[in-house]
Amino acid sequence: MLSRRLSLLNTLVAVLVLTQPALAHEQAGVAGGLSSGLLHPLTGIDHLIAMVAVGIWGAQLGAPAIWVLPITFPLVMAFGGVLGVLRVPLPMPEVAVALSALVLGAAVAIRLRVPFAAAAVVAGLFAIFHGHAHGTELPSAANPLAYGAGFVVATGLLHLRGIAIGTLSRWPAGARLIQGFGVAIAALGCYFLALSLEGAA
Amino acid sequence: MRHTLGRACVGAAALIGSAPAADAHIVASRLGDFYAGALHPLTDLQDLILWIALGVLAGSLGAPKGRWLVLVFPLGLLAGLVLGLTSGGVSAGPVADAGMVVVLGLLLAANVRIPTAPLCATALGLALMRGAANSGDVGSETNRLLFAAGLASAGYAAITLAMAVTLAFRATDADPSIAWRGIAIRAFGSWIAAIGLMMGGFVLAP
Repeated sequence: MLSRRLSLLNTLVAVLVLTQPALAHEQAGVAGGLSSGLLHPLTGIDHLIAMVAVGIWGAQLGAPAIWVLPITFPLVMAFGGVLGVLRVPLPMPEVAVALSALVLGAAVAIRLRVPFAAAAVVAGLFAIFHGHAHGTELPSAANPLAYGAGFVVATGLLHLRGIAIGTLSRWPAGARLIQGFGVAIAALGCYFLALSLEGAA
Repeated sequence: MRHTLGRACVGAAALIGSAPAADAHIVASRLGDFYAGALHPLTDLQDLILWIALGVLAGSLGAPKGRWLVLVFPLGLLAGLVLGLTSGGVSAGPVADAGMVVVLGLLLAANVRIPTAPLCATALGLALMRGAANSGDVGSETNRLLFAAGLASAGYAAITLAMAVTLAFRATDADPSIAWRGIAIRAFGSWIAAIGLMMGGFVLAP
């Protein structure tokens, strides 16, 4: 037993001694742009919950929304991103982003069933505002292409996460849990909406 | 026995994980420019995105159509490189690159079953563009033959691998239990097109 522990200790010491510097904060060029883009949708809670809510709602609506939304949403969001990069102004973007969390969260909470075209219009409209916010906040120091790739991938993964959560609706308990998520998302949306309205006033 | 094996695995993993770069001085040999040609496109995000998108598109169309690209794409890269070197580094420009990314992404997202000839024409056009773009960093001391061989080899490997992975991932459409894989490829295409749109926006930004 003792020899085993000593052996483990030796291994740990060897690992610590041989470890190379991690260089975990390299923020220049492609790496910097990619990490900024990947983290941007994850660090903005309003963006994060809205993206997840879109995925959950798509899963609740079932086909074709569950597979059309992941295909079309990134494109529409990138269009909004281009508008942001080109500094094309949109009316009250922060309010619209907060409103998206409120509306999408409420849709999930009450299991809102609407025709697919209506759901696509709602999601697409909000996608433009989310993309616009990402495009406007593009960090000037980062590699722009890497930033764009990072934020598209991160948003897509958030969306897929929402779809994965939404598949819980197959079970009655899971459906209730998802509705609870929807309530929480809508409540956070209310909070962000109040903040943005206060800021706009 | 199990503990010995476990310790050996941990030790091996630690040594592999902590191993520094080998610095085998391959660049100092005459093959250095070969690796320069091979690595140059692989360290450029535009090349990576375009090449992978083309490979995935070809793979999604099936092996009978896609296999032509194994030949067409590397040869197109060589032709583009020669074109770029002889014309003094002519390049299609970032707007054309962004447009090509959008087109490839949309073709994937819309699951357009394009015939072999347009697919080969698209691959040739893309290869010419990127071959010419890669000629910009060929210096006067660079061995052009080795650089070209490296570039073509990288193009061949990237396209073949991307196609093979896509073909293996997609498997057959006949099985409904893996129908989601086709949707995943289409979603990947929409990501590519979205990145292309962003590229275009950045290029046109004031």
